[in-house]
Amino acid sequence: MNGIWKNIYGWIDRRVQLKTLVDFLGKKYVPVHRNSIWYYFGGVSLFLFIIQVITGILLLLYYKGSEQLAFESIQFIMSKVKFGWLIRSIHSWAANLFILSAFIHMFSVFFEKSYREPREITWLTGMLMLFLGMGFGFSGYLLPWNEVAFFATKVGTDIAGVLPIVGKPLMIFLRGGEEVTGATLSRFFGFHVAVLPGIFTVLLGIHLILVQRQGMSEPLGMENVPAAEKKTMPFFPNFLLRDLLFWLLVLNLLAILAVFFPWELGKKADPFASAPAGIQPEWYFMFMFQTLKFIPSKLLFIDGEVFGILLFGLAGVLWMMVPFWDRKSSRGEKNRLVNYVGLFVVIYIVILTALGWLL
Amino acid sequence: MPGRKQIAATAIILNDRNTFVNDIGNQHRDASKRNFLKYILGGGLVAWAGSVVYPLLAYLKPPMQAEVEVSSVKAGKLSSIEKDSGSIVRFGNKPVILIRTASGELRAFSATCTHLDCTVQFKKDLGVIWCACHNGKYDLNGRNISGPPPRPLDEFRVVVQGENVFVSRKT
Amino acid sequence: MNRHFLPSVIVLLVFCSLIYGTPALAADQCLLCHEALADKPSALFKHDIHRQKGVSCADCHGGDRSADDMERAMDKSKGFIGVPKGDGISEACARCHASADKMTQFKSTLPTNQFEVLKVSVHGRLSTTGKERIVQCTTCHNAHGVVSVKNPTSPVYPLNVVKACVKCHADAAFMQTYNPSLPVDQLDKYRTSVHGIRNVKGDPKVAECASCHGSHEILPAADVRSKVYATNIPGTCATCHGDAAYMKAYGIPTDQYEKFSKSVHGVALLQKHDLGAPACNKCHGNHGATPPGVESISKVCGTCHALNADLFSSSPHKRAFDERNLPECETCHGNHEIVAATNKLLGTTPEAVCRRCHSEQEWPKGYSAAGLMRRLSDSLEFLESQAGVLVEEAEQKGMEVGEAKFKLRDVRQARLETRTQVHSFNEERFREVAGKGFATAVVVSEEAQSAIDEYYFRRLGLGISTLIITIVAISLYLFIRRLERAAVDRQTTPK
Repeated sequence: MNGIWKNIYGWIDRRVQLKTLVDFLGKKYVPVHRNSIWYYFGGVSLFLFIIQVITGILLLLYYKGSEQLAFESIQFIMSKVKFGWLIRSIHSWAANLFILSAFIHMFSVFFEKSYREPREITWLTGMLMLFLGMGFGFSGYLLPWNEVAFFATKVGTDIAGVLPIVGKPLMIFLRGGEEVTGATLSRFFGFHVAVLPGIFTVLLGIHLILVQRQGMSEPLGMENVPAAEKKTMPFFPNFLLRDLLFWLLVLNLLAILAVFFPWELGKKADPFASAPAGIQPEWYFMFMFQTLKFIPSKLLFIDGEVFGILLFGLAGVLWMMVPFWDRKSSRGEKNRLVNYVGLFVVIYIVILTALGWLL
Repeated sequence: MPGRKQIAATAIILNDRNTFVNDIGNQHRDASKRNFLKYILGGGLVAWAGSVVYPLLAYLKPPMQAEVEVSSVKAGKLSSIEKDSGSIVRFGNKPVILIRTASGELRAFSATCTHLDCTVQFKKDLGVIWCACHNGKYDLNGRNISGPPPRPLDEFRVVVQGENVFVSRKT
Repeated sequence: MNRHFLPSVIVLLVFCSLIYGTPALAADQCLLCHEALADKPSALFKHDIHRQKGVSCADCHGGDRSADDMERAMDKSKGFIGVPKGDGISEACARCHASADKMTQFKSTLPTNQFEVLKVSVHGRLSTTGKERIVQCTTCHNAHGVVSVKNPTSPVYPLNVVKACVKCHADAAFMQTYNPSLPVDQLDKYRTSVHGIRNVKGDPKVAECASCHGSHEILPAADVRSKVYATNIPGTCATCHGDAAYMKAYGIPTDQYEKFSKSVHGVALLQKHDLGAPACNKCHGNHGATPPGVESISKVCGTCHALNADLFSSSPHKRAFDERNLPECETCHGNHEIVAATNKLLGTTPEAVCRRCHSEQEWPKGYSAAGLMRRLSDSLEFLESQAGVLVEEAEQKGMEVGEAKFKLRDVRQARLETRTQVHSFNEERFREVAGKGFATAVVVSEEAQSAIDEYYFRRLGLGISTLIITIVAISLYLFIRRLERAAVDRQTTPK
């Protein structure tokens, strides 16, 4: 057995110089410290993304992206296709877990200030992928063409529509017309399975290459610890096996969620029906949605909703630009302000999300 | 968590594992245990792969009924629907009766009798929609005209696109 | 006797007042003159209740009642209007009859809303001329010679009222100008009814037009406020037929309304407001109200329950029932208190109606057929409910059972058809329809069961894969630990 494997390895090695890669991996170390646990969430997000790609492709085999057939084709997948219920539920659950895990990953990076020089690009690509992930969620939510999705999309695109100047054209672009119709569905389907994955893959490639090239970031202050006292673990196989272990557990969690809490399909969207009570966006949009509800309709001379959206836009840009305005961390100094900002954002999101669910 | 523990730097390439295993001491103590663990791990991985691959393969196999059911149902070809006839079309969970009048006009109604939910049918000789259960009759506009039905039949919309006839819910 | 008491008193009073005279009467120059002329109005007015109450010609016609000169008496400047025209007629009556004060002055207890009610009634609409209402007070009550409604000479006395109504309502040419689709043969039908026959014989207690349609407040039958609107009919009939004291002389039961309102028809009509459900008149007729004859019952019920009636009429029971003078449908289902038929009616159990004739000894064939139908019917009902329970269970478990649910309808349909098919009293035909239901019920149950099995299969699959993953995870963990411990060993053990 070993002989065969060695031969195969040798055969490939002679052609693509596997040895350099193996050597590179062999020399790659992961710092071990009390916050090492957070390193795993990047891997988990990656794993969940892979699951999304696989289950997404599988769903594509039976899904039909048209107003008349979308709902029925999902119904068909759920009831007629063997294990269709499993694939669809996993796709839906993994989407949510992906966002969750990406959020955790993002905040851990933020608090560890790992975005500091030289990892600004890694941070930027990560943030962009997070936004794309939310775009995936928003566009995918409509695809079953059920009542809640229909109205959530209506509300969501309405919000985009209130923006000054660009709002209306943006809304029409998103909807493929004045109203949420079959045209919107086709559009969202295209975004969800072609446009977003294409961009995402490029960003993911850059992100992963950078992580490999630059290695794992160490917490601030580790630079001062003498090399002999630093604790590390080899990336391969120790860290990778741990990653795998984590992934297995996540996969099992997905299976449990899919079996015990199968993702509901609800009622088919009826564009002429009145909106059902309790229309809510996906949980990761909730804090923004709830904020817009709290902002008074007129703020000074600017429309409340517009103000809210601009505020969120500004906050998002500032957040994304943290490597550039937080110069202290790059110099290796402590920056309390960033911690306070981060803490405020976490608490704000948690409270507003909770309010959104409770109110 | 493993990360918290004291772990010495080690670089082990998986391919070298066996040599490495042979190198270290206490091999006689651990050999059988190690092999057991390897078998469990290997077997487990194979079984796990099976539990992932089986659903995937089963999913890929097209189901018996290859097409989805639609809520806007295709009721057939216009040319194949005779004049002065009626047929039952399955509309989701409910039957819909598609009528083509003698003048060629197409109409569709819920085929659920408003009396006791039996399925109605077209009665050519009487020119009515008729319920076999209690002789309820509806005219070809769905209005209850005789027998026990208390209400008219709900109307559905018929759309003709080229040759195809579709029935959809009236909104 | 009582009936004649009041008129006699009035006659007596009129007599007395005539003898002793009253100032008003004595001074009424209109009457003096017109009586001398011996014209018809003054002759009729002599017996008019208004005259007895002291109302003068001038109260309606205007003018000066005290002037003995014709010119002065009928001077337009004194308010003389001659013969009131159009709505002026009813308005003249309403001057007193709509005023509670005036009516008390005249010591009358009559209601004062007649004109108001008449205005909103079907007769209060504008006539073809567009200038006046169709009906004025005088149309029914006459102008001169008005007497109390309790007076047998009154045109609206119960025995006379039909004549008042048919003046217009039997006139096809006239009715056509207002409501061409309204029949004009109500009187002919009425004369065939129990009410009409008694009315002709001089019984003022039986229903005439106004008893059901009302008097001043008459509305079209399609108006929900009408006394003869479908949902109001049972109550209208019950005003007499539910009054035990009133009906005492006729010796018929008075509990029909009570029974009807509990019946399947009564519940549908009175509670669910299903206008397709029959009110009293659907079976008894309205103007020709009479109990249906024994052999015509299946025809009457068959107007709605046509299939059952047809099956019954072509069944052997038709002849058997006719020979024994049994009222067809009613024999098994009852009449006013008809409740939704259940399986209990069928079969050979003590409460089953079949048993009333078919004893095991006397009619063994019918007895066994009844027993068989009941067994099949019960089985079908059981299978249907069982299939329903399974489908529901599968649904609650979140499984897609749309198709099974769709087929479940067919089971229900077959069961309902067996109910109808009972009336053929033919074992074979019954068995055929029931068989259809059995087969479908079995299919539905199987589909639902397989959905439920699938549900457990999912959990089993999850259990197995969780077990596998747990084993892999644990061994992977042990493997990592071993790897690292070995590495530590290697580092600390010098080569």
